[in-house]
Amino acid sequence: MDTSSPAAFVNGALLRRYIGQKVRAVVQVIRSDIGSVTGKSTDDQQIVVKGSPPPSLTTFLEVIGIAESDNTIRADVWTNFGDNFDAGNYNELCKLANGEFRHMFI
Amino acid sequence: MQNSVTPDAISTVLSNPSFDSSSDRSEIVVQVVDLKPIGNRYTFSANDGKTRVKAMFTASLTPEIVSGKIQNLGLIRLVDFTVNDISSKSTKYFLVTKCESVASALDSEIDLDGKKDEEGGEAAKRQKLDHSPVRDVKETGIMLKPKKEFVAKSASQIISEQRGNAAPAARMAMTRRVHPLVSLNPYQGSWTIKVRVTNKGTMRNYRNARGEGCVFNVELTDEEGTQIQATMFNDAARKFYERFQMGKVYYISRGSLKLANKQFKTVQNDYEMTLNENSEVEEASNEEMFVPETKFNFVPIEELGMYVNQRELIDLIGVVQSVSPTMSIRRRTDNEMIPKRDITLADESKKTVVVSLWNDLATGVGQELLDMADESPVIAIKSLKVGDFQGVSLSTISRSNVVINPESPEAKKLKSWYDSEGKETSMSSIGSGISPSAKNGSWSMYTDRVLLSHITSNPSLGDEKPVFFSTRGYISFIKPDQTMWYQACKTCNKKVTEAMDSGYWCEGCQKKEEECSLRYIMVVKVSDSTGEAWFSSFNDEAEKIIGCSADELNKLRSEGGEVNEFQTKLKEATWSSHVFRISVTQNEYNGEKRQRVTVKGVAPVDFAAETRLLLQDISKKNKASQ
Repeated sequence: MDTSSPAAFVNGALLRRYIGQKVRAVVQVIRSDIGSVTGKSTDDQQIVVKGSPPPSLTTFLEVIGIAESDNTIRADVWTNFGDNFDAGNYNELCKLANGEFRHMFI
Repeated sequence: MQNSVTPDAISTVLSNPSFDSSSDRSEIVVQVVDLKPIGNRYTFSANDGKTRVKAMFTASLTPEIVSGKIQNLGLIRLVDFTVNDISSKSTKYFLVTKCESVASALDSEIDLDGKKDEEGGEAAKRQKLDHSPVRDVKETGIMLKPKKEFVAKSASQIISEQRGNAAPAARMAMTRRVHPLVSLNPYQGSWTIKVRVTNKGTMRNYRNARGEGCVFNVELTDEEGTQIQATMFNDAARKFYERFQMGKVYYISRGSLKLANKQFKTVQNDYEMTLNENSEVEEASNEEMFVPETKFNFVPIEELGMYVNQRELIDLIGVVQSVSPTMSIRRRTDNEMIPKRDITLADESKKTVVVSLWNDLATGVGQELLDMADESPVIAIKSLKVGDFQGVSLSTISRSNVVINPESPEAKKLKSWYDSEGKETSMSSIGSGISPSAKNGSWSMYTDRVLLSHITSNPSLGDEKPVFFSTRGYISFIKPDQTMWYQACKTCNKKVTEAMDSGYWCEGCQKKEEECSLRYIMVVKVSDSTGEAWFSSFNDEAEKIIGCSADELNKLRSEGGEVNEFQTKLKEATWSSHVFRISVTQNEYNGEKRQRVTVKGVAPVDFAAETRLLLQDISKKNKASQ
């Protein structure tokens, strides 16, 4: 995976803007299977993350990878974010990072 | 524009020396302005839109003015009048012996010439009615014979007619001129108000230097939404306590007004009212009055932190999770036993809080809630005090108002949230999330938040009395060779002096002790992205910053060795971030005034809360620049 370009902060609604591009998202783990994890984005939409999840998962998980569709990410980097995470704040961050402060992120 | 005066009528009359008021002159319609009583008669200026002339109503018309049939800024048709000379001057005036009221008070003085007239404005505002009859101006002007009789109506009568209340009882309102609460002041003698009791306090017995007494107060709201508190003592209290009932409408007169005591102000009004035994309180039984409903301003449980120990009362809505049995608490002030009941409420912020119901609320509403607890009712409470017991605690006061299962959209939303997910969710108490500091309870770390530049750029802050802020920053430097602590009395914490022989002498306790404790008194430098400042800190706060007591630090300092633990401790404390509660005052030093910042409280940084503050700031800046 090309690691030179920055990953855009996305929630459920923003994912569709970056299909084919590198994104990062924090999801709340709902279900984990072999080869994928179903999570809830910070704006309460369902996102499927494909790839190799780590063996043990905390409630919140950050994934970085390529957006495959408007609700799927193929992730290469998986990071446990623990059980206490303020989804609301992260959601606001996604909105600002893709809105008026885009220039600071991409 | 509502124009139905007879233009030029006045000039025509004045220019005609011999007119007969009983002939065609009877069609003159003028506007009454500057209506004033002189003795038992009323004078005014007659306005025909172009000219004004001084005028007077004969005494026989006074009752029509007092009853509101003839109103200032209203229109009257002059049926019978004479033009007289004012004795000493050459000016004339109209003496009106008979007239008919054609319209009630208009918005302002009619001015057909288009000149702006300021005078009528104030009076117009007070008497503005939305439904004065409108008629077309006819260019020919003179013949305006109304098809219907228009009678001046008082505000309450118009409203009750609007609502279809044609009951004879409604006519009573016609004789009463109702004053809006906003117009009341201590210098205005006779007034009548029409208000709804929106809150009724309990009867309290008190004892002071002058003896014993009883008192209660009510909150009154009028149609415009203005509120005022009315208090009654002793005889008046006993007389009116049963008569005043929550939600009912009353005509009240003969009360007195005085400036409200800001400390105890509970409603937005500069004045408060006192009623005595001579005051009149009459229930307006058949009349409807639209009064804006009790306005609740709900605070979500998770935001209660910033109201802790503040004077501001808050409103809360939540689902009842549990109700305790009644407890009897001894009141410290008079050793009286009063009932209390604790209820736990939850809301969509997924936090819970304990509300203590006191006195009647504990036994009355509290019992009701206990009986229906398994239904998980929604309750709304107005005027709760926020305390710091166990982090955050809510208490009712005498004027608190509890509504079970209110009919409001918030209540519906809450109920459906609870039924669908809230019931199952595990929620945490809001109190456990707040970080209290040692003995002072929890500080509000989120109110009066400033950046350090606000303090440094304003050297005269705290000039008259100390100003308080909260701020987040990093400890950037702790001078290792400052005097960090003083020798303190173990009992009273005051400074002790070393005795000649061994031991320490405490001036405050007047005792000699073998040992003393060390208590911190140090200055640290604090920095943030906007600047830096020196903060003075006393023992409890400094302990949190350094991470150990002064006695322990002293021990480390005197220990030599390879690794200087003392320096390590200071190093670890440096560049740690905290949220501080600070006070800023002015100290005089060598004749000069210097700003002094003292730490009143320290708390660890709650990143989620701080992020929310930053998000708020960002959105505020956006709003400001739009």
